[in-house]
Amino acid sequence: MMDAGELELFRAALRQATSSHSGKALDDALAELGWRDALAADRRVAVSTLFELQGQANATSSALDVVMAEGPVVLPPLGSCDQPTARGLGTYAFANSAPDGVVLRPVDGIDPSLGLVEVSGQLPRTDASSWPDALAAGQLALAHELIGASRAMLELARTHALERVQFDRPIAAFQAVRHRLAETLVAIEAAGAATGAAWDMETPMAAAAAKAVAGRSARTVAKHCQQVLAGIGFTTEHPFHRYLRRVLVLDGLLGDTRTLTKRLGEELLTTRQLPPPLPL
Amino acid sequence: MELDEFRTLVDAWLDADADELAPPFTGTGTLDEQMTQLAKVKGAAYDAGWMRWGWPSRVGGLGGSSLLRGYLGEALTRRGLVEPGGYSMVEVLAPTMIDYARPELAAEMVPRLLRGEELWCQGFSEPGTGSNLGALACRAVRDRESWRVTGQKVWTSFAQYSQRCVLLTRTGTPESAHRGITAMFVDMTSPGITVRPLGTMHGGAEFCEVFFDDVSVPFDRTLGEEGQGWSVAMDLLPFERSTALWHRSAFLNRRLEQLLADAPPDSLSATEVGDVFVQLFALRARSRGTQYRMAAGEHLGPETSVDKILLAATEQALFDLVGAALADDVVLGGDAVGEQWRAQYLYSRAATIYGGSAEIQRNIVARRLLDLGAET
Repeated sequence: MMDAGELELFRAALRQATSSHSGKALDDALAELGWRDALAADRRVAVSTLFELQGQANATSSALDVVMAEGPVVLPPLGSCDQPTARGLGTYAFANSAPDGVVLRPVDGIDPSLGLVEVSGQLPRTDASSWPDALAAGQLALAHELIGASRAMLELARTHALERVQFDRPIAAFQAVRHRLAETLVAIEAAGAATGAAWDMETPMAAAAAKAVAGRSARTVAKHCQQVLAGIGFTTEHPFHRYLRRVLVLDGLLGDTRTLTKRLGEELLTTRQLPPPLPL
Repeated sequence: MELDEFRTLVDAWLDADADELAPPFTGTGTLDEQMTQLAKVKGAAYDAGWMRWGWPSRVGGLGGSSLLRGYLGEALTRRGLVEPGGYSMVEVLAPTMIDYARPELAAEMVPRLLRGEELWCQGFSEPGTGSNLGALACRAVRDRESWRVTGQKVWTSFAQYSQRCVLLTRTGTPESAHRGITAMFVDMTSPGITVRPLGTMHGGAEFCEVFFDDVSVPFDRTLGEEGQGWSVAMDLLPFERSTALWHRSAFLNRRLEQLLADAPPDSLSATEVGDVFVQLFALRARSRGTQYRMAAGEHLGPETSVDKILLAATEQALFDLVGAALADDVVLGGDAVGEQWRAQYLYSRAATIYGGSAEIQRNIVARRLLDLGAET
């Protein structure tokens, strides 16, 4: 466990790394600052801090592979949370170290800067029993990344609302705008709380619920912030579009909100009982 | 007493005394029956000691963390022994008395509230000031021996059952706004008070109009200083959104569980059930964080509006689902079970209205948490 001072330094180092690097360069920076050691020492702090900052900076790294499988991993196809068998998705880290017999096809898609590849052919065989844990670990990491991206979108929209003057006043003075931004903050806070609870509960159900809340919140945040940013937010001259793109991919990885929500509902309808609630 | 030990002991007590504590009616019961049940459960919990944990010894408590209160209310609510609304008045009004009443007055009165011997109400809203609390008009003037109060309150929950009222009055000029408000602790048996329960769409006449006609209130019943009423109110409102809200989330958990048990096959879609479930998961996660902040001695403030917004959205989402999946009960049901679902469905419509409307909560978030400056 880190004390408050160490945590502050760790956070500052990660902030510096994520705001100036992405991809392979960020991997190198993380290696240099000892993120894996931190992961071994205090998993919750290492994951939550890095992924929120990564989301906030719109950066990427191979940390998701590390969190899930200590190395390159095949992710399920978009939307799915089942262990991939015939085909799946890989991060650029997987693409760079793909074993023989695997067919890779670059996916530019809506967010080319993420460097995703479509993976098919002979997928590396992994122990099916370890999938639920790997999935839950990955879902929590992605939930934090979604929250980070959401915070960045809120900050962009908030700044714009305070600076953009119409009818002789900043648009932040108008209740319609204020309520959209309030809704945005509430969504982010809900996701933050749900993710924290999932760390405490340590159940696959809680990780899935947290990812579902984070994905749902991020879509709400994107919708409201886009509207507040209006014209400028629709241009590529403003950074908003990068976050929107990123959020749509992140929500789809390891189970999108719709799939996870439906799965949770199906479980409840089968048992007709709620799982033990989060204890005080 | 630590939370884990308390949890075990309270659960054991509730198991052992389940029969005596159970309500003698099925479904919601009448408001009279609910109030009798509430007094019975609080009395038993007080006598067994549980109701005293989490409160300071100067008001008859046994000390310990406020988390203990959070758990007790959760356990009582989850088992359907109390309605969270009536039970949680303790959580809203006792802290106010502890912080603002004369120590002797708090020491005398709070135990009566805790052991269910008395019920108290909260006289805030007025016909002319629903959301704009700072504009309240119920007038208190200094006489030689006491305040003389004249005016009207509305939406006063359980006033017809209450022995006391935490009342906000206007003691400054009408223009003094939030600076000219004074809080006081009023005996509801005082001459000049008339209570008129309001019929509401969900059935129970919980909300009342309260009329004050030259009511005498002793000066030593003033809560805080003259003109400090706004602070009293601002400190009280977050309590509505902390422990009380945790109790309400336990109620929602219980009702979602009941919905799963009662709903006919094929009346529920997995997506809809899952959606309510994840909202409730997030609400409880948020509220739990608030319980821990309060227990750590943090001052609760505008951030509790986030909790209230989540509560209202979750409660309505749950009962929207109830309204659709149990339409026969909600729309046509004539038995106790149907009437309970109907009453709770209708009550949920007010979740975005009472305790600071959805709009007011968002105004608070925008102004205080997002620092967006003044509204035009």
